[in-house]
Amino acid sequence: MLNKPLTKRQLGWLLLVGGVAAFIGIIGIDILDAGREGGIGPAQQTALTFFALLALVGLTLLPLGDAPA
Amino acid sequence: MHNRAAFFSLLHRLLLAAALAILAFYLIVYLAYAANLLLFPFDYDQGEGFELVDTILFSRGRWPYMNTEVFPFYSSNYPPLFHVLAAPLVSLFGPAYWYGRLLGFLATLVTAAAIGFAVYREGLAHANRRAYLVTAVLSGLAYLASNTVYHIGPLFRQHATMVMFETLAVVVLARALDIVSPRQRRAALLAGLLLIIAAGYTKQLAAVTLAAAAVFLFLRGPLRAVLWTALAGAIGAAIFVWMNAATDGEWWRQAILANVNELHILQTIGLFRQWIGLHGFLIAAAVLLTLHELYFDRLSLYSVWFVLAVLINGSASGTWGGGDSYFATAIAAACILSGVFAARTLSGGWHFPENYLSRRLVEPLKPHSALLRAAGLLIIPLLYIGYGRAVLHLPTQEPGFSQVAQFLQIQPNAQNGFYDSARTADGQYPSGYADIGHFVTAADAEAGWRIVEMIAQSEKPVLSEEAGFVLQAGREVVTNPTQLLNLDKKGLYDGSALIEMIERQEFGLVILRAQFYPERVLQAIGRAYRHTETVRMNGFNYLILRPADGSS
Repeated sequence: MLNKPLTKRQLGWLLLVGGVAAFIGIIGIDILDAGREGGIGPAQQTALTFFALLALVGLTLLPLGDAPA
Repeated sequence: MHNRAAFFSLLHRLLLAAALAILAFYLIVYLAYAANLLLFPFDYDQGEGFELVDTILFSRGRWPYMNTEVFPFYSSNYPPLFHVLAAPLVSLFGPAYWYGRLLGFLATLVTAAAIGFAVYREGLAHANRRAYLVTAVLSGLAYLASNTVYHIGPLFRQHATMVMFETLAVVVLARALDIVSPRQRRAALLAGLLLIIAAGYTKQLAAVTLAAAAVFLFLRGPLRAVLWTALAGAIGAAIFVWMNAATDGEWWRQAILANVNELHILQTIGLFRQWIGLHGFLIAAAVLLTLHELYFDRLSLYSVWFVLAVLINGSASGTWGGGDSYFATAIAAACILSGVFAARTLSGGWHFPENYLSRRLVEPLKPHSALLRAAGLLIIPLLYIGYGRAVLHLPTQEPGFSQVAQFLQIQPNAQNGFYDSARTADGQYPSGYADIGHFVTAADAEAGWRIVEMIAQSEKPVLSEEAGFVLQAGREVVTNPTQLLNLDKKGLYDGSALIEMIERQEFGLVILRAQFYPERVLQAIGRAYRHTETVRMNGFNYLILRPADGSS
């Protein structure tokens, strides 16, 4: 199992879960660090867009099933 | 019908020849630039001289990672391999810039050859090998034609050598898992990982290639990835611990702690825009091949490397000390991917297995496959011609080139009559883009020797922001200003010993260029020294300061 190539579906789940987790994490920084001024800056905006895209790519890989990644 | 096919074929060949000619022209520009720089005896790119100092120290069996609080207040912040490779040449030829610049230049040629080989190898099992051979040549030339690769290649700096080791590692590892013999497969994996370690000990930025290799191996078998990455990590860590012990912890302090710099997001954005503007044709092809691998094939190491190099090194280009050179790894990856894309298009080697995307996107196009194939024959050479136009750079006043510049109606927009498409018509460029690429002149060398003469006339040590003048005068190099600044930004620098020497006017001369010393060191210089003259060399003003009390 551990030495088999990853499938498209497995890669899709990794990207989806990783993207969503990172997206929530970045938003979380702002919520937890509420005293900070300036809100979401350009670096955070870029990171949020990237992780949203990553999750979306993951989602589109799920239907590809057991094809090797 | 037959006539139309013959016409397309002829047009395809003509365009391909034009693309080859354009990229071959950039090779000539590159050769001329390298020849021009090899003979220049002073710093050309800011900080080159300190790399020479590191090399000299290694040639004497000494580490360049030292305590910057004691005289001569010097330390390096770069890993050792490039300097170790050049060190034997110090014994043979004495301290000089040319062999370090030659090593960097040769590294770019090896990288271009490796890129070409990677593209050609993809076509070995294909009937139309000629398409792969032609695009292999185009891909290698495309790497050398990049404005970024052009201007960092023939420098006494480690970046081009790091990219060479990275590219060799990726080319070895990309096919390692396809080797049938377990013994040969293990040997290839080990060789690839050792090359990555070599890249990492040339410059820290190569960490991205280790990450790419780890992700690629993980996709092909997680357990194997963990084992091999752990092995590479153990070898790399053992070298690290040994170096740290041998330098009393200065390796960790100078090369790691001092090298973590703050990110300027606007610089990152500016450099990304510039990179896309210059390399957009290659990037588009690389992205399309990556998407094809993601949805219709298996992800190759090249694609993983490209994506991570763009995201990680591209983002890091906005750090203090970063710049457009941070895209060099992504450019190498883009050249390989775009080359494979081009060769597949020319040879009709695209395959789209049945899935929800091919049903929606590919099936409707199948009735037009002949037309698309013919269009591909024209689009591919146009892609390289477009790239050739985007990266336009050449000297406009040198013999041979001036006629080309005249024909193309190009006005110089950089120093010494150089034209660089990375700049605007009035010479502006994004923050972080290296202000180099121009040819040096005899007047530049004369100006440098004038500064050397001033140093020779002084009986005291000299504080120079660039090491070349001091080395040429046969004096000891004191401080590495950018490293002091790196340390200062992290709160790791005290500087009282250097400041006391400055206040006591123990330096006969102070030579400033970019004024990259910590603020309080500059303030001390301002109090104890006065500006007496300015020497312009290589497009930059060198400020000569003498002790305020008139002694030197």
